[in-house]
Amino acid sequence: MHKVWQEEELSKMVEGGVPFPMLADPGGDIGKMYNVYDADNGINIRGKFVIDPDGVLQAMEILNEPTGRNVDELVRQVKALQHTGNTCEATPAGWQPGKKTLTPGEDLVGKVHENWDPDEEIE
Amino acid sequence: MIKVGEKAPDFETKAYVDGQFEDVALSDYEGQWTVLFFYPGDFTFV
Repeated sequence: MHKVWQEEELSKMVEGGVPFPMLADPGGDIGKMYNVYDADNGINIRGKFVIDPDGVLQAMEILNEPTGRNVDELVRQVKALQHTGNTCEATPAGWQPGKKTLTPGEDLVGKVHENWDPDEEIE
Repeated sequence: MIKVGEKAPDFETKAYVDGQFEDVALSDYEGQWTVLFFYPGDFTFV
């Protein structure tokens, strides 16, 4: 089925087809592990999980069936997670590469307003 | 129940990769950032 979809439709949207592995989950065994399996309909709903190089789950998002996801937000989250992995700095709401980060710790408690402006979140 | 900050549950399954069918495990991807993406069915949007 993945092969047919890749050949018949995806390759019309992405030259050469999607460049990542398409996994099979017959019976929803993987979906059950990740709490996205809808047993009534026999499908996995729209789950997205970001896993770091140590195999630790770092982000997850689950949307119900009618709502598609946002690749820009996925990429932003991965960049933010990588930035924190490299620097131990925290990335506040709406963070983009190059924007201000915060140093987590007791010194920051109650002082976010001195260190970060909500306008930072708006482009 | 899965949680952020904890190990993602490992699994093995069949995958369609570069025109071939292969066995893959989540643990094959350790050492790199990985996105696991579920969707209801082929020929739907994501």
